[in-house]
Amino acid sequence: MRKVLIVDDAVSMRQMVKFTLQQGGYDVIEAEHGQDALNKLRNTAVDLVMTDLNMPVMDGITLIQNLRRIPAMKSKPILMLTTEGLAAKKEQGKAAGATGWIVKPFDPEKLLQTLAKVLP
Amino acid sequence: MNRAFQSQPDSAALSIPPGMAGVVAGQSLSVEAELARYLPHFSRMSEQLKQTSLQIESSVVEVCDSFQGIAQRAKATVDRTKGFLSREGEGSSDTRSFEGLIENCSGTLVKILNLTEEAGEVSRRAVDRIRQMDKASQSISDAIEQLERIAGGNKILALNARIEAARAGSYGAGFAVVAMEVISQTEKSQKVNAQVSELITNLRTLAGSTLDDLKRLNDKDRQRVEQCKHEVDESLRDLQGAHGEMKKMLTGMTEEGALLASDIGAAVRGLQFQDRTSQRIAHVVEDLGVLSTRLKTRFGDRTGAEVASDDGFSSYTMHEERAVAGIGETESGAGEVELF
Repeated sequence: MRKVLIVDDAVSMRQMVKFTLQQGGYDVIEAEHGQDALNKLRNTAVDLVMTDLNMPVMDGITLIQNLRRIPAMKSKPILMLTTEGLAAKKEQGKAAGATGWIVKPFDPEKLLQTLAKVLP
Repeated sequence: MNRAFQSQPDSAALSIPPGMAGVVAGQSLSVEAELARYLPHFSRMSEQLKQTSLQIESSVVEVCDSFQGIAQRAKATVDRTKGFLSREGEGSSDTRSFEGLIENCSGTLVKILNLTEEAGEVSRRAVDRIRQMDKASQSISDAIEQLERIAGGNKILALNARIEAARAGSYGAGFAVVAMEVISQTEKSQKVNAQVSELITNLRTLAGSTLDDLKRLNDKDRQRVEQCKHEVDESLRDLQGAHGEMKKMLTGMTEEGALLASDIGAAVRGLQFQDRTSQRIAHVVEDLGVLSTRLKTRFGDRTGAEVASDDGFSSYTMHEERAVAGIGETESGAGEVELF
């Protein structure tokens, strides 16, 4: 079963994404912010990371930059899931190494389709 | 994301339009004193907004948990139904499928009917053979009749021989003995012929009755086989009809399950309003904090100053909000009913 790490400071968002992904047959782990995600990835390997942009402690862009420095995460898909839709922000995400950008609110079916597309 | 209800210190100056002043109990107040009286309301409003946001989030999480259960049960039902229907697919040769069972049952019944028909066929062949035996017996009877006629002719011939022997006197004595012997042998053969004829008659009687029995049995068997065939066909048709209905119902259930999944998906999308609402509330709280800090910076923290009354502010009904506002209220447990 493919494993996905969801990073969001809002427990409800994590719950909704988790629910959607579990329905799609994914195994899901959660982190509250970027640093929490990095800590969790020390002990667990994942196939994909889906992160919010604005979070306390460590934001999504910084998380992606850190993740891309980890050899195991170099080629793994990382998706941004955020209410932010500004082109400049998207560019920042892209430059940091994000694979894609999903604007909230997400459509569960489209979210699953996107995951299927980016996962090899 | 929540900007997490964090207030940010801001020392920027706030400009108050000149001449702005309040009146309390008929007494004129300076702008500073007036604003100081309203400052405590800022934190109360912020706290209420935070609580509201947290309550919405908690409700959304609860709804999501419920969805999880609903979706899992619906998925399990759909999977089971799909598994059943896949075994029931067109032309399925799976012996566990209902159609497979009907097919097996039908095959077994056809075999039984075929065996019964074969037994009928054997009995029909036996009837034919008995008829052939009867015909052969009739031929034997005809042959015996001919022998009888020949014996009769021999007897007359022997009598004539005796008469001629008597005429010949002593010379014909030997011939007379031979004639007598011929008559004796002819009578013996006539007796044997009569016995054989009787046996054949008995045999033909027995064959006739056996033939009748076999014919009756055969006719009855054929009728029974036809009736069984008809009943089996009808039962199988009913069974297939019922199975068709069941399949239709299960297919409907699968479609309903898919619709339910889609409805839940739509609800999940709808529930995400909470994330935006939460962020907006966080921004308002943050701005209230900034405003409060600026006012305090501008006019100084006047802790202990007279707080403006609630007149003119919204009234709060939720006990949490009352608690935030420092208004005492007896708390009721969830689901509690009180009749007066």
